[in-house]
Amino acid sequence: MAELTQAVLAARVDVVVTGWQAAIEAACQPLVDAGAVEPRYTRRCVEMVEEHGPYIVLAPGLALAHARPEDGVRRVCLAAVTLTEPVRFGHDDNDPVDVVFAFGSPDADQHVGMLSALAGALIGGLDDELRAAASDDEARGLLEGIGDGG
Amino acid sequence: MTRDPLRVLTVCGVGMGSSLMLRMTAEEALKDLGVAAKVEATDVSSARSMNADVIIGQGLHTGEFEGVAPVVVTVTNFMDKNALREQLAERLQEVGWLS
Repeated sequence: MAELTQAVLAARVDVVVTGWQAAIEAACQPLVDAGAVEPRYTRRCVEMVEEHGPYIVLAPGLALAHARPEDGVRRVCLAAVTLTEPVRFGHDDNDPVDVVFAFGSPDADQHVGMLSALAGALIGGLDDELRAAASDDEARGLLEGIGDGG
Repeated sequence: MTRDPLRVLTVCGVGMGSSLMLRMTAEEALKDLGVAAKVEATDVSSARSMNADVIIGQGLHTGEFEGVAPVVVTVTNFMDKNALREQLAERLQEVGWLS
């Protein structure tokens, strides 16, 4: 899935952060660095949780940060970080979190295929594969492979 | 009994991230159960007026849907297809949509 490889901007393993806000910022940074989103997007991703609660914590240990297309998204993008020390988002069941994804989409549709692939990969245990990844390159390879099935 | 495909909504705060992931899990779980369904991801406020048969979301969001749809399912782990399948099976049997 070529478009997926283009969307995956980075995966970083064993990132050290002090709290959930910093975890979201770390996951968003590659999107900003690549110019896929405007710098304000990161702040909006944090505000989404402040406004709507920790609903982005989808599963035990796992969060999916994002904001809206109008929050400065230029193209579809995805990044992930794994954390050395898990952080708490205030989720009743799924805290603490040590894998954080961040994505952006310029409209309501362009990310649908990518997130479906990500969901399929997570149902298959991608989060544990990322936790076990020994390097950023290995983690990025796992993320780029989510559309390949299996 | 044959009936039209169920209208299933997966909901979250914004309607484009978490709910989309949950849609994928719900589609897989419903397929396993052999239940014909059209699953849509949406945000909480839109879901209220969408006349759904089934609404699935986090406890944070599903509380306000009791009475809005015949079946409301609260999910903790969005990526646990087997747990969702069990919950759906139980609830759909209660309302007679699964034998």
